Amino acid sequence: MKKSAAPGSGRDADGYLLRAEGITKVYSDGTVALEEATLEIHTHEIVGLLGENGAGKTTLTKILSGLLPPTRGRVVSPKGPVRFASPREALDFGIGMVHQHFALVGTFTAAENVALSHEKPFSRIRLAETRERLEALMEESGLRVPLDVPVEKLAVGEQQRVEILKVLSRDVKLLILDEPTSVLTPLEVDELFVLLRRLRDRGTSIILITHKLKEVQSVTDRIVVLRRGAMVGDVRTAEATTERLAQLMVGKTIATEPTAVELSAEQVPKTLSAGRKKVPLGEGILHVADLVARGNTGEIAVDGVSFDVHGGEILGIAGVEGNGQSELVECLTGLRVPISGTATIRDTNILGKDPRQIYRLGVAHVPEDRWRLGLVLPFTLAENAILGVHQWEEFRGPFGFVRRGRVNQHVRQLMERFDIQATGPNAPAKSLSGGNQQKLIVGRELAKNPAIVVASQPTRGLDIGAAKYIRDLLIEMRDNGRAILLVSADLDEVLALADRLAIMYEGRFMGESCPGELSREQIGMLMGGVACKEVA
Amino acid sequence: MSLNPFGNSRLLRGARRTLTGLHPALESLLAAVIGLLIGALLMYIWGFDPWKAYWALLQGAYGGSYEWASTLSRATPLILTALTFSVCVRAGMFNIGAEGQMLVGAMAAICVTYFAMPSGIHLLIGLVFAAAAGAAWSIVPALLKITRGVSEVISTIMFNWIGRWLALYLAIYVIVDPQRAEKTLTVPVTARFPILVRGTDFSYAFFLSLFVALVLYFILWHTTMGYEVRAAGLNPTAARYGGIRNKRTMIVSFLLGGAAAGLAGAAIVMGMPPSYAAFGGGAFPNLTNIGFDGMAVAMVGRNHPIGIIAAAVLFGGLNAGGRVMQFYGSNPVPLEMVRIVMGAIVLAMSVPELIRLFPAIRKQGQSLMRLLRKKGASSEEGST
Repeated sequence: MKKSAAPGSGRDADGYLLRAEGITKVYSDGTVALEEATLEIHTHEIVGLLGENGAGKTTLTKILSGLLPPTRGRVVSPKGPVRFASPREALDFGIGMVHQHFALVGTFTAAENVALSHEKPFSRIRLAETRERLEALMEESGLRVPLDVPVEKLAVGEQQRVEILKVLSRDVKLLILDEPTSVLTPLEVDELFVLLRRLRDRGTSIILITHKLKEVQSVTDRIVVLRRGAMVGDVRTAEATTERLAQLMVGKTIATEPTAVELSAEQVPKTLSAGRKKVPLGEGILHVADLVARGNTGEIAVDGVSFDVHGGEILGIAGVEGNGQSELVECLTGLRVPISGTATIRDTNILGKDPRQIYRLGVAHVPEDRWRLGLVLPFTLAENAILGVHQWEEFRGPFGFVRRGRVNQHVRQLMERFDIQATGPNAPAKSLSGGNQQKLIVGRELAKNPAIVVASQPTRGLDIGAAKYIRDLLIEMRDNGRAILLVSADLDEVLALADRLAIMYEGRFMGESCPGELSREQIGMLMGGVACKEVA
Repeated sequence: MSLNPFGNSRLLRGARRTLTGLHPALESLLAAVIGLLIGALLMYIWGFDPWKAYWALLQGAYGGSYEWASTLSRATPLILTALTFSVCVRAGMFNIGAEGQMLVGAMAAICVTYFAMPSGIHLLIGLVFAAAAGAAWSIVPALLKITRGVSEVISTIMFNWIGRWLALYLAIYVIVDPQRAEKTLTVPVTARFPILVRGTDFSYAFFLSLFVALVLYFILWHTTMGYEVRAAGLNPTAARYGGIRNKRTMIVSFLLGGAAAGLAGAAIVMGMPPSYAAFGGGAFPNLTNIGFDGMAVAMVGRNHPIGIIAAAVLFGGLNAGGRVMQFYGSNPVPLEMVRIVMGAIVLAMSVPELIRLFPAIRKQGQSLMRLLRKKGASSEEGST
């Protein structure tokens, strides 16, 4: 098949299906998710939407599919501007989205699920009719699923096909898939791509959201790259190189942004924080070998990871979220039991141990989700300040009584040392701002006098001041000879702080290096799953 | 002109701000007032004089030392069963099983009849029996939850029935009074709570309730164990992160709650004259609904030991005063009306939650109005 023949028809000036013009989206908390984004979708094409976490991919497609209203800008079809108040209206127009998390009734069969999605309240379910139409549709599209098995019994890939079928049965002209390959096995990915090509040739336009470079290059006709809410590139796939895409995705190093420091070279203090001293590498603190662990849905999330962290260094783990970083951290902090592998802190095994035993070994854990994990929000500042250390002799008096006096003294010290703005030790934690909540967590953990700090997304959602403060604290700890394992989806943060960095992709380390050894493009490629050898 | 009925909603917003900003104690007080008003309305509809009835109720509940004594004696077991419910709520679980745990505890307390001991010690042994039996009865649902994931709501309700029939069996066939088949053995004088006010049924059992409330308050708010229980109840994931073993906190809360419920049973059979026994023949008239009323008391008392004592005094007063109300000369209001007032109070407790929903309701109303207006405008265009 000629590679450019099918998409070619969409390139004439008026052949567009839908155009998003100057879309800006500001969320109610002030986050600017999209800024003046413009996207044109033609008939007969697969468009890859590429970008890091928080680049605005999902926001843009949610606006197209009627889930979110844009703050500014409009969506235009050849017949004029359109505005969808709900996904149902978008579906009626011919735009359907398949989300990362499926919306299927587990005990219903595929046919019943599809019939359900068609019905209005109180109308009759026409199961036989739906079945006939589905069979015709399956015949035509080549998308095969068992229609009479409860969907919970189907494999994830098949469930995804039910979702696609559900959307296709509404005669959509534009199909949006949000990270469809993240739950699939390699074989299922291939099948999906064959299907997508066939759908395109039939006349359906497809938007494929992904952060995987290989996939986007193998199946799309055109690639649109988003970075921090702005469109930074719109290239034909045939003309795109991996390097170019990676560079577009992670961005060029701009002079005002922090530049990575090469440890081996002469020290030039130019990080975003105060100059980093050269600290002699200390003893090995954390040693991890061949760690394998499952994620929440039973897939292998961490797939044989080995590394060491020494005192006086920050090991940064970069990568797009959802590639096993959370599960790795949970294994090391007692929240998840791995399948195999070893992890020791100063030669003491930590796998399968309780968090409280692990904290006793000198581990501090700044969790990625401060509301779900880090804090008990209705508790007071004082109560939160002893979470995890409440059984330590300092705070536990005779008969298990809490030593109120010491707890309050401890909180006051934390508030002063870590600059936590609150009305007092008895203020509820939920009354604090996000920055102060994070300072409370970081303060609590650093006050444990740990040998190693495991910090997961420590500055997510914080304003610049608070983020800088917390980064400075981590550097200070490092300079005091502590080991620090920093997991962050923010590449700039990892590059600025880490002495060594590893890039995680699909549960494995794609490469380990010192900042400066790899260019940003190379790191971007590793984050996108292109291995080092191919880079060189 | 605005079509929106919610357009001028300053009043509504004001009400909402007032209600959502209320201190929990005031919210409970307001609920009590609303409950009484609903009761008054119903009495009026049925042709009674609410003011006279409430005056009788008030007199009968808090009018003098005799009335206070009977109010507090009725509050005694309610405080304990309310604590059962609230300790488990603090741990993030709904223990509906106070009724069964209380009955089993009462039967265990009656068993002290089988041996003689010096007074005081005999009483203490009875309390230990009751607390242990109540705790044992609640540990099974807790273990089912931990090991098999059985919802504690279902299992505790089921255990209420098992406990009730077990207690009936014991009361009719095992610990039955050989002279009077309708009742169990009578608790001997050495194992009874001394009467506090002569001529009333107010005994030292009330101080047992106060003591347990105080102990639970200290456990929950001043010990590391209570800290763990509350943390696990509010945010189980954060508790796990903090090294708290959630299974352990579940067991602890059910044990404490079950013991309190068992003591409630003991407080009745060992501290409530004149019977000092359970009546299996009449299906436990003096032991029925204590567990369920305790849940209402816990709600009104905001699951706090101190609040529970206040709420129990209110509910005890309603029970005590209700008896007077139905015999009040020209205006005999049936006792059932008091139960209606209690129900209305519990319902009114959820009103603040409803008020918090108002912004959402208002938004829905506005979008509906917009839709109607749009349709209206387009049909006008069509006609011109």
